Amino acid sequence: MSTSEEITREIRAQARELLESGQVSCIIGYEVGSRGRARPAFVHDADDVERLIWGPDCVHNLTVYLHDFKKPRKRGEEPPHVAVVVKPCDSRAINVLLAEQQIERERVFIIGVACEGVQGRGDPSRSPNLAARCIRCGDRVPVVYDVLLGEPPEVPPAEDDYADLARIGEMPPAERLAFWLHQFDRCIRCYACRQVCPGCYCTTCMFERDDGLWVDIGIEVPQKYMFHLGRALHLAGRCAECNECERVCPMGLPLSLLNRRLAREVETLFGYRAGREVALSPLLFELGEEGSPI
Amino acid sequence: MKFTTLDELRAWLNHLAQEHDLIAPRDVDGHVLYRPVASSGEILFDYERPELSTKDYFLPATEVLLRTERRGGDVTLEEVLPDRKQVLFGIRPCDAQGLTVLDALFLQQEPPDVYYRHHRERTTLVGLACPQMWEGCFCTSMGGAPDDPTHLDVLLTAVDGGYAVQVVTEKGAALLEGLALEEREGEPPPQSLPPQSWGGPRGGAPKPVPVTPPEKWRALFEDGLWQRHGERCLSCRICTYVCPTCRCFDVTDRVVEVRPGLTRIERIRAWDACTSTNYRRIAGGHNPRPTKPERLRNRFYCKFCYYPEDFGPLGCVGCGRCIVSCPVNIDIREVLRDVAERSGE
Repeated sequence: MSTSEEITREIRAQARELLESGQVSCIIGYEVGSRGRARPAFVHDADDVERLIWGPDCVHNLTVYLHDFKKPRKRGEEPPHVAVVVKPCDSRAINVLLAEQQIERERVFIIGVACEGVQGRGDPSRSPNLAARCIRCGDRVPVVYDVLLGEPPEVPPAEDDYADLARIGEMPPAERLAFWLHQFDRCIRCYACRQVCPGCYCTTCMFERDDGLWVDIGIEVPQKYMFHLGRALHLAGRCAECNECERVCPMGLPLSLLNRRLAREVETLFGYRAGREVALSPLLFELGEEGSPI
Repeated sequence: MKFTTLDELRAWLNHLAQEHDLIAPRDVDGHVLYRPVASSGEILFDYERPELSTKDYFLPATEVLLRTERRGGDVTLEEVLPDRKQVLFGIRPCDAQGLTVLDALFLQQEPPDVYYRHHRERTTLVGLACPQMWEGCFCTSMGGAPDDPTHLDVLLTAVDGGYAVQVVTEKGAALLEGLALEEREGEPPPQSLPPQSWGGPRGGAPKPVPVTPPEKWRALFEDGLWQRHGERCLSCRICTYVCPTCRCFDVTDRVVEVRPGLTRIERIRAWDACTSTNYRRIAGGHNPRPTKPERLRNRFYCKFCYYPEDFGPLGCVGCGRCIVSCPVNIDIREVLRDVAERSGE
């Protein structure tokens, strides 16, 4: 039995137990989609747990859906308890959301999965066809979980040397600006990068205000430029580097170059990588001398 | 049949580019997109379905509608409409059908949308038949076909040594005046082949997708299927922006320049999407479609219930772009099959 099949079996058993005991009302996991690849799945009923799967194409970071469970279903009720399947990279987003008091730890049951990396965009028959973020990822076990499924694989931990940033870092400023303007030109302002991001949960995004205070509704380079740089800055010290923004972009914008540039900056300045450990409050909220990461 | 070679075609396009805004499929950083081109050298002749539809050239993502200027007490108002002729070369039949869908609202309803009408009138559509159906394609279930000339001015089909040329409209014939054509033995390549003769992405014919009539949709409004499909929706706008028939827009005035004695303002319209969170929010802050399933449901009801009831055609041409670009695999074919099943079709 392959690891995927074994973990699939374990996820289903865990899901059944959680739903039957009433511990949670929904399992956020993966199922086989219409195109034969994994997609997010929401299982509300123990009879449906057989839909759940695990495999190398479980690329999505499901923690973004936790925002949909923050409010009670009905007025006067408590918010629901849910379970979510996470990989190590996804789990870092949970730490970020906990620090930002977006979710309550006791309402989320975390099904952690030991991870060997997920598939990249290339040819799935190529082996290993790892996503770029997995090649530089050294985490085999989620940073936070209630139950851990699978054996942490014996893979030497990768050293993240930010090599992906080298090319753009070497460009003179004018060339770098030209590079980004060229990239932003392709953007269609679909907001998929923002919508898929667990860290982008503002009720009203500053780039989508009715009064157009910062940017108007135009889908042109100046607005797109402002949006992408603004979003990157708002994620500085908060981006868990799941790289979902880059995966979902229909126009293939290399958004990791922005987010990781700021992650490197934060790591250099504060020795801090978002979500890697439990934080009592978000890095950039720490203003005092005591307990400040600075 | 009328025939031309690739060399003749290139020469003709180079000539056209001088006096027209020439839009054609181009490789943009590895993405096939309909983009303005300066010469035929930039044009792709062998390409799959471009990743975005052609609607940007009729309902631009951002369009300046008018400009106003106030100098002291004088206010001037300028309507903005491009005056060059436009040629869309290499448009796929599904995208042309998409324009017919938009016409039903923008041209056939009173009053017509002057901006859209202007772009339609200044544009000639030279289509290139698809050699096959690609992943996600289901045009044959939506009344189209990979070689359907119906909504075009000219249709080209790749044949041995060049292209078969079908002149569909007088506008097309006029545009072709500069193109060297020869008469060849034999019939033009067959049109509108039955779906089963087209190769799907994995060889076999694509499975037909059922379309449930609008009146049967009404009964399914509260059905659980919307929750099931909508739960994983991200509320992004990919599906609506890649769609050849989604046509919602928002309008705003933006200040271009302010200094003592002078204010210049532009009125623009820009694409909007019913899948986005605040699309339906109204004065006072109420949002009648607060959840993802409700918003996603609206997108499908618009296409298969409201639009055909109000304006005639279905709001979908089966181009499959939303299917291949959705990051969470919301699949319009799957939704249509579920609707058909739930309504006992």
